[in-house]
Amino acid sequence: MAWSLLSVELVVCAAILLMLAADLLVPAARRDSLWWLALGGIALAAVLLARQQPSGIGQTFQAMFLVDRFAVYFKGLFLLTAAVVIIMTREFHHHLPARVGAFYILLLTALLGMLVLASVNDLLLLFIGLEILTFSLYIMAAYLKTDARSVEAGMKYLILGSVSSGFLIYGIALLYGFCGSTSFPVIRAAIANGHAPLTAQAGLLLVLAGLGFKMAAVPFHLWVPDVYEGAPTPVVALLSVGSKMAGVVATLRLLYGVFMPLQGLWGPLLAVLSAATLLYGNLAAIPQTNIKRLLGYSSIGHAGYLLMGLSTASGSGVEAVGYYLLAYLFSNLTAFFVVVVAADAVGGDALDDYRGLSRRSGWLAAAMFIALLSLAGVPPLAGFVGKLLVLLATVESRRLWLVAIGAVNVAISLYYYLMVVKRMYLDAPRENSPIRVSPLTAGTLAFLVLGILAVGIFQEPFLQTIASALQP
Amino acid sequence: MPLPLPAAILLSPALGAFVLCAIREDRDALIRRLAVTSMGISLACALAAVMTYNPVAGGYQHEVVIPWIRSLGINVHLGVDGISAVLVLLHAICAFTGVLISYAIKERVKEYYIFYLLLITGVFGVFLSLDLFFFYFFYEMAVIPMYPLIGIWGSDVKEQGVVRFSKEYAAMKLTVYLTLGAVVALTGILWLYASSGAKSFDLVALQRHLASAPLAPSLQQWIFPLLAVGFGVIAPMWPLHSWSPIGHAAAPSAVSMLHAGVLMKLGSYAIIRLAVGLLPAGAQMWLPWIAAIAVMNILYGGFVAMAQKDLKLIIGYSSSSHMGYVLLGIACLSPLALDGAVLLMFAHGLMTALAFALVGHVYDETHTRYLPDLGGLARQAPFIAGCGVIAALASSGLPGFGNFVAELLVFLGGWDRYPVQVICGTFGVVITAVYMLRFVRGTFFGELKPAFAHVRDAATPFARLPYVALIAVLLLIGCWPKPMLRLIDASARPLIERIAPSPMQEKYADVDSLDLQPLAPRETP
Repeated sequence: MAWSLLSVELVVCAAILLMLAADLLVPAARRDSLWWLALGGIALAAVLLARQQPSGIGQTFQAMFLVDRFAVYFKGLFLLTAAVVIIMTREFHHHLPARVGAFYILLLTALLGMLVLASVNDLLLLFIGLEILTFSLYIMAAYLKTDARSVEAGMKYLILGSVSSGFLIYGIALLYGFCGSTSFPVIRAAIANGHAPLTAQAGLLLVLAGLGFKMAAVPFHLWVPDVYEGAPTPVVALLSVGSKMAGVVATLRLLYGVFMPLQGLWGPLLAVLSAATLLYGNLAAIPQTNIKRLLGYSSIGHAGYLLMGLSTASGSGVEAVGYYLLAYLFSNLTAFFVVVVAADAVGGDALDDYRGLSRRSGWLAAAMFIALLSLAGVPPLAGFVGKLLVLLATVESRRLWLVAIGAVNVAISLYYYLMVVKRMYLDAPRENSPIRVSPLTAGTLAFLVLGILAVGIFQEPFLQTIASALQP
Repeated sequence: MPLPLPAAILLSPALGAFVLCAIREDRDALIRRLAVTSMGISLACALAAVMTYNPVAGGYQHEVVIPWIRSLGINVHLGVDGISAVLVLLHAICAFTGVLISYAIKERVKEYYIFYLLLITGVFGVFLSLDLFFFYFFYEMAVIPMYPLIGIWGSDVKEQGVVRFSKEYAAMKLTVYLTLGAVVALTGILWLYASSGAKSFDLVALQRHLASAPLAPSLQQWIFPLLAVGFGVIAPMWPLHSWSPIGHAAAPSAVSMLHAGVLMKLGSYAIIRLAVGLLPAGAQMWLPWIAAIAVMNILYGGFVAMAQKDLKLIIGYSSSSHMGYVLLGIACLSPLALDGAVLLMFAHGLMTALAFALVGHVYDETHTRYLPDLGGLARQAPFIAGCGVIAALASSGLPGFGNFVAELLVFLGGWDRYPVQVICGTFGVVITAVYMLRFVRGTFFGELKPAFAHVRDAATPFARLPYVALIAVLLLIGCWPKPMLRLIDASARPLIERIAPSPMQEKYADVDSLDLQPLAPRETP
């Protein structure tokens, strides 16, 4: 057994155990410094990830667990997301008295689930990875026990999440019934001729339903607005970036690694869902008055673009999705980071609380401005290149009606993002006191914004990395 | 190694914006000086680029090629031909005078100049890019700064004290319209890229590829309207023009100057360069429609302008009317008309910039743009009034100004193909005279209202510089259009000949044989 292939996951497990112990031993008043330990674990994991051989494919646990460049690329993104969310949580400490340590532990278990998902080569492992991730998020969403909205968020997420897990496990059962194995290679061999009985097709659709829940794609998006509004903001950031990315990664593995011969079935289906998701997410975002709800609906819209890239069933579509996720990671994390920092200073998450933010902290408003424009897909920012690649891949797959919908949604999304910009830049502030930002937060925000610019302007190195990582 | 001219033109305002970010907010004087310096460098380089362009050799010159995304065939490919050289110069002049006019901005100066310089960079990028990817990249980059520029420093459009359009509304409408147009055009660009088989976004490579393996006409007839309508929104093509007059009216003067002077030309330039240049069969099929729409632009815009009472709305609608001549000139597919269209873009840009600058001055002094409230300002502000009269005359196509030469060329060049449209177009000249004279009379002449006794003129040489510069160039190309026409013709003629090798242009086979000199009256300075 090649333990080195599991090194990243093992380090994260070790960090979790260490933190469990530390949480008991460190006095309650000093537990908020535990974030160092979590960040250190992630840093060590990142070092080990960089040392994993990028060429060739390694597998272990009877080929259930796969380490290829695809896995390495996405694990890198997951580690980056988790690290940023940890720094974000540091700004959020005072909302989580005494139970900060456990929050970091849950964050790391969620990370563990995502890391496992990047390496799945078996339906059961897929299920386990998803459940590790989702269970952590159930608890984290309801972490503010005294806040009714947070409890509601946790409850909704739990109920709808359980239903979707039900779909997933039922689909897995059907697929197992079809070919007698949950292993990806076996399933791939069984459908290699492009034919699958109805039960297998139904199984695939049910599994996709379970993953669609993770991605927040229509019609499995219903949990998004309430959970985004109520859950603690760092958790929402993790949900919107990490959890969505995990859903996409698993879908990529499944559809492109296993079910490619059935693309006639899932390609058009994803295209239709993509159109519905785009329109629903972006149109429903327009009347929102809460920044977290707005970002929730916008994240549904982004799921639409991701589905659009997935639906092409082509190499360029996969690359586009890989690039889109990278751009989305930087942009959305920046936006949520500003929400976390600003919430205390401006007194809430209502859009109107953001009035005149640019007068109170020019840099904070500028970071939000850049993040939102990047989400809208404005050059020279990262989101533009992601959208362009997705649209290009869809044009190449000759689905022009979908391109038209995708293109129009760029303009729709720009409208509601600009409504936030309007409040930050055009409206007068309620008060004029400047907002203080700690150096670590400022540094992280600067890093994220520079990331948005770099991914948007110097596309070639990123594209090459992605192309070499995602080539089958 | 000296920096190539297009790169210097483009980088100077971009670096300016970048440096401004690092300067403290209260250092207004330094901020303004930096902006003027960076634009001065751009203007000098643009002048140098136009002077050194060799019209005999033609084609793209001053080229810079840096491979950017090899797997998709995207290059940073900068360069100018005769058409874009003229437009780069127009933009440089308008932007430079705009930066000077911006001295009237007193609030949040740093943010203002950052957004303004970003806008300028984007527009330069569009004119200089010879790559479809970067063309779109800079185009959308130019649109977005308009939102804060109008939203923060603009003014509501009022009528008798009642807000007709708020500046927020105008800013949002403009941004969403232009973005919607842009994404429609983007769809066309991507479709073109995917179906050309050239695997390249580079305009020159694409042109070469399409010359040997043109797209199927059945495909061109779909892609052409996507590009023409998508970019037509900013042109602004009737009936998609409604964002433009209120956008102009709500924007601060310096932004209106750029907006009406240059931004609208992005649309017509894109139609010439991409829609007509790359899709000849599509152009043949659709240009008669464009000609008809152009006539609607001219007449409808003109009539609506006649009914306006807000000074900026008058100029705004007149711009959309005048852009109709440009579209008509493009639609004629004759070298002469295209020369006229490009020259008109240049002349109209300067004229509108002048008009918006002086309306801005009037508004700053009187705090109203409502025509019935104004009057008699010539006594208080004779210099501004003089500029207003000149702008009105230029706009009405009086001989001696560039607009006259350009409109005449459009009419001459278009006569063979679209006589009816040309006759309708000439009516537009009369309409223009009506509303422009009404504008001049109502603002500058008549009885001076007592409330305006304190109104000041643009007194210092520094304050007068932008006006004088704009008028000087207008007169220069009006009286001596030949050098600029040679420049434009060097690129317009090959373009048309590539698309429509038609026999009907033999009468005016060469712009040199058409002696334009006597057309300019001797008595103008």
